Amino acid sequence: MTERPYWLAAGTVGWGAIVFWKAAELPQFDQYAHVGPGFMPSAVGFGLVLLGLMLALQIYRGVPFEEQGAEDVNEDHKVNYMALGLATLACALPMLTMKPLGFVVTCTGCFVLIAAAFKSRRWHLDIVLGLGFSLLCWWLFRKLGVQLGGLLPMMGV
Amino acid sequence: MDAITGLMNGFSVALQPQNLMWAFVGTFLGTAIGVLPGIGPALTIALLLPVTVYIEPTAAFIMFAGIFYGAMYGGSTTSILLNTPGESGAMMTALEGNKMARQGRGAAALCTAAIGSFVAGTIGTLGITFLAPPIAELAFIFKPQDYFALMLLAFLSVSVVMGTSKVRGFIALFIGLSMGVVGIDKQTGLQRLTFGIPDLMDGVEMTVVLVSLFAIGETLYVASRFGLQKPNLNPLAGGIWMTKEDWKRSWKPWLRGAGFGFPIGALPAGGAEIPTFLSYTVERKLTKHPEEFGHGAIEGVAGPEAANNAAAAGVLVPLLTLGLPTSATAAILLAAFQNYGLQPGPLLFINSADLVWGLIASLYVGNLMLLILNLPLAGLWVRLLFIPRPYLYAGILIFSLVGIWGVANSWVDLAMMFGVGLLGYTMRVYDFPIAPVLIGLILGPMAEVQMRRALAVGQGDPMVFVSTPLSAVLVAISVLIIVVPAMLHWRRTRKIAMPDETAGV
Repeated sequence: MTERPYWLAAGTVGWGAIVFWKAAELPQFDQYAHVGPGFMPSAVGFGLVLLGLMLALQIYRGVPFEEQGAEDVNEDHKVNYMALGLATLACALPMLTMKPLGFVVTCTGCFVLIAAAFKSRRWHLDIVLGLGFSLLCWWLFRKLGVQLGGLLPMMGV
Repeated sequence: MDAITGLMNGFSVALQPQNLMWAFVGTFLGTAIGVLPGIGPALTIALLLPVTVYIEPTAAFIMFAGIFYGAMYGGSTTSILLNTPGESGAMMTALEGNKMARQGRGAAALCTAAIGSFVAGTIGTLGITFLAPPIAELAFIFKPQDYFALMLLAFLSVSVVMGTSKVRGFIALFIGLSMGVVGIDKQTGLQRLTFGIPDLMDGVEMTVVLVSLFAIGETLYVASRFGLQKPNLNPLAGGIWMTKEDWKRSWKPWLRGAGFGFPIGALPAGGAEIPTFLSYTVERKLTKHPEEFGHGAIEGVAGPEAANNAAAAGVLVPLLTLGLPTSATAAILLAAFQNYGLQPGPLLFINSADLVWGLIASLYVGNLMLLILNLPLAGLWVRLLFIPRPYLYAGILIFSLVGIWGVANSWVDLAMMFGVGLLGYTMRVYDFPIAPVLIGLILGPMAEVQMRRALAVGQGDPMVFVSTPLSAVLVAISVLIIVVPAMLHWRRTRKIAMPDETAGV
């Protein structure tokens, strides 16, 4: 972990600036309610910019950042970037495949990637389990009335 | 309707076989997720939201209440037997409870925790039964400025109390607020911060944010720092049930714990951490066996565990009577109410009396079910921890996808899952509290409506915000929350900085 994560402050200020800039296009006041639709977003954007600057000041003064505790986390919080990459890939996968390939295929992919991120090396078993579990979820929640799309949208099923 | 008739009515709803079944499903699920890592009550309810469209509201809320209470029981089981508190309220239980288990007194610890939870949960539910109706009555005379002041107080206290740093707490809150303003402004019909994306016109979906922050953020965080400590089951053998001595040492901490938990839980900034901590400290002071504290004192399990459950009941008071969520789970419950087109608050007690009283009655029923489910079966529940982690977290991701994709089949939601998931990961790494984001997201738009209403009534005069006694007091408290700690900090740092100025920076 970097000692001085200024990018956190920059991100906060940046997001605040975007909110403020978009809100500035809206009317800030109106006659009727006295506060227009733009007032609240402007205030929030301004607050974020201010807070971002305060965070930058804290970082400059060397405020410590301690990672949050969680279960199943190793004691010295050593980061495995390979695992992080695989897990991130699993979370990004639905954006690419959900529309064309459908719920079941996407979830099988996610399942295998997450299992790999957690150091499972039994690929064949993971694929079978993932496929089975995804199919089960798809079927069960469809029964319960949740719309999850077709089985294989590309083939029109 | 007075409380007794209301409650009787409620029992007639809650004791219907079908509703009993939902209460059982809820308590069962709740206990399971309380035991499992990586998944908590807020997340579970969020994931179940799409399903509930097809269940009638009373049944759904009875199930949610079971999940809410059940997670507390499950959390205490793992903290005692494995020293892994499933949720923050169970931290203090782990301290003494696990020591007891290591001495082979696990069964007694589990027993005092479960009975204490039952006693405190029941006291808390009694509190709801008799306090909620008058508070709801009171809420009728609330003016918009009173509501606004109340929400302001909730915002400030949530951001200040949760987490270690106020600045980071407020950043979390403001991120939530900024997501809350997205969508069409209901008063003027203008689009705000939608960036021209049609999917965002209805605003940011609470479920998507909650699931991404909790499930996706947690999965990324744990995957990157994975290190499984083999669950090391402490033998239950030799640990007979509570002895007469144990009972004698437990009942007062139960009652005191409930006494701390319920009122603090009911406050806008309540939460379970403060009352459990308070209870632990007080029991340590009052005990006749101070030498046992730190080595497995039964009072240190009984008190905090009772406080924890009473606080959970307390959280329901502002939620049901004022529509004010004070924890992540309460926020998602509010979202569930809104999904059904219901607005918690004074009118709920009149328009949906069956639902409210059915829910309250089911809390009594659920508590009893939990006692039965947990006492004899604690050893079985712990087996859940042997689920291989790759499959547990992969399963959580798939459930998350059901929850997110099932809301609207929208690609934007999937993109948001990724983005907010990364945000959740970052927040964990740099210790930003998560709950303020959700409170800001759900309470922000409500606060804005009240603010605009108050200003419209007051014809634009900002003094309207302190024009009633209640609003003036609440605003004053809010100011104090910000100013007093800042001043104390300033004085302290000045004192320290003066002498060793040369050594500093």
